[in-house]
Amino acid sequence: MSDDPEHPLVVEELTKDYGSVVANDTVSFTVNGGEVFGFLGPNGAGKSTTIRMLLGLLKPTSGSATVLGADIRDEAALTEAKRRIGYLPAHLGFEEGVTGETVLDYHGAMKGEGRRDEMLELFTPPIERPIREYSTGNKRMLGLVQAFMHDPDLVIMDEPTAGLDPLKQEAFNEFIRDERDRGTTVFFSSHVLSEVRRVCDRVGILRAGSLVELENVEALLHRSGKHVRVHASDAAVAEITALDGVVGPERFAEGVQFIYAGDVNALLRELATHDIRDVELGEPPIEDVFTHYYGSREEADEGDRSEEAADRTTRAGETDV
Amino acid sequence: MFETVRYEGKRRIRGAAVLTAGIGAYAGFIIWYFTVLEDVDYEEVFNDLPPAMLEAFGIESLSTIEGFLGAQVFNFVWLLGLGLYFAYVGGGIVASDIETGRMDIFLSLPVTRARLLVEKFGALLVPMLAVNALGGPIIYLFVVAVGETIPLDHLLLAHLLSIPFLLVCAGIGLVFSVAVDRAAIAERGAVGTVFVLYLLESVVGGAEAYDWIQYLSPTQYYEPTPVLIDGSFEPIDSAILLVAFAGLLMLSQALFECRDV
Repeated sequence: MSDDPEHPLVVEELTKDYGSVVANDTVSFTVNGGEVFGFLGPNGAGKSTTIRMLLGLLKPTSGSATVLGADIRDEAALTEAKRRIGYLPAHLGFEEGVTGETVLDYHGAMKGEGRRDEMLELFTPPIERPIREYSTGNKRMLGLVQAFMHDPDLVIMDEPTAGLDPLKQEAFNEFIRDERDRGTTVFFSSHVLSEVRRVCDRVGILRAGSLVELENVEALLHRSGKHVRVHASDAAVAEITALDGVVGPERFAEGVQFIYAGDVNALLRELATHDIRDVELGEPPIEDVFTHYYGSREEADEGDRSEEAADRTTRAGETDV
Repeated sequence: MFETVRYEGKRRIRGAAVLTAGIGAYAGFIIWYFTVLEDVDYEEVFNDLPPAMLEAFGIESLSTIEGFLGAQVFNFVWLLGLGLYFAYVGGGIVASDIETGRMDIFLSLPVTRARLLVEKFGALLVPMLAVNALGGPIIYLFVVAVGETIPLDHLLLAHLLSIPFLLVCAGIGLVFSVAVDRAAIAERGAVGTVFVLYLLESVVGGAEAYDWIQYLSPTQYYEPTPVLIDGSFEPIDSAILLVAFAGLLMLSQALFECRDV
């Protein structure tokens, strides 16, 4: 076992085949030391499957990965490495009957709690109350505290901001940037493009179980374009959608929506020549990015369904992959 | 060391207290009832019952407090009730954590699966020891309170010998717990298995052709009534139970090691 601080996470042709469906199909990527790596993909793409294999929760069908130098198939090595790993699962199954404090005491005894107080100042779950009284956001905050309180070298998070209010999300983003500056390597999954773009250095994009793209965030944003929704007359719509850079226009009763990948100024000039009743310009939903840049929606949907099927057969009661 | 036993064990304290209180109350009622029945010729009534039934309920001598306790409290509560209870609780140990996603968090900690399993199982010792360590004195005090006597060493032995038996029942639950995905199924499977083994042992005990079947049941190796009456027991029985428990624990570990959670 060699601990390579340059590459805390190396994934090599990792495959998880449930028989009826391949949840991860020869996924390979490397996360560099001290970077924030976003693992992006629509719901059901297989992100949680990868993450849960990295933690040794699922056994890979083939391929392997090393986490802080430990082969994920070597339980003893991986267990030792877990002292330096923080993990935030997507589904926070804390014991309902105990207080947050009891949970943190236990985690502290197991892996250390040097930064517990510092974390509790940033994220503020009501630790004196039993967890059954927690909101989703409070559970997420407790999860964040336990994931970072032993000052891990590598933090793996599955949809870390789901359920956090916007203020806490912003605090989270800032915290992650600070962590990176301290040298912590952060790997987290998300299906929200805007979340990833704010904090990630690089992204891997998983779709229907396969890694389809590995690039830096700027390139991704450049390629993802804008989501445009225009309320206008049919004649205006026809001219607008004829512009270069309009991808996948979809008509609705009062206008059209599309992804625009061209020069924004050209779009604005074109819009200015028509009688526009309403216009929205925004970030495209990630599903649309996939649809337009990485293949058809049908394929994506198929991937979602098969992943869900695999999920049902392997873990009852948990659908959040 | 043993952080998980402590953490999980604390969560079992309330359940252990309720269980002990409930069983104490039932034992109290039975002991009081014994004084009410003292004038009834109980033996006469049971002489008419089929031998298999007497065997099943461990009925030997109902006219003494030892025999009465053996049949009404130890055979019903310790052998059947607690046997099923620990099979049920054992069935929930892993399966419920997997079902609720708690296992993800447990296994993200620096602990091997084998050790985690042993520690989580170890927390079951809280109710198992509480019900015996507190149940015994409660029963003794009730017996003294109604003016009867019972040999203290026999009572102690009956409780002590129940531990290997209860470990096996919980161990059967643990195997179900790691083999099955859903807690409800693991719990029912474990309870059903222990109950069927109990019935089989009772039924085939009298039939010579298939009497080997009775040796499959853990209930075969714990007979509290003779222990209470004259302190007699077979050490080999407890040894068999402990070996069986070790086997179940190792089987559970092996199954847990190679499964996805």
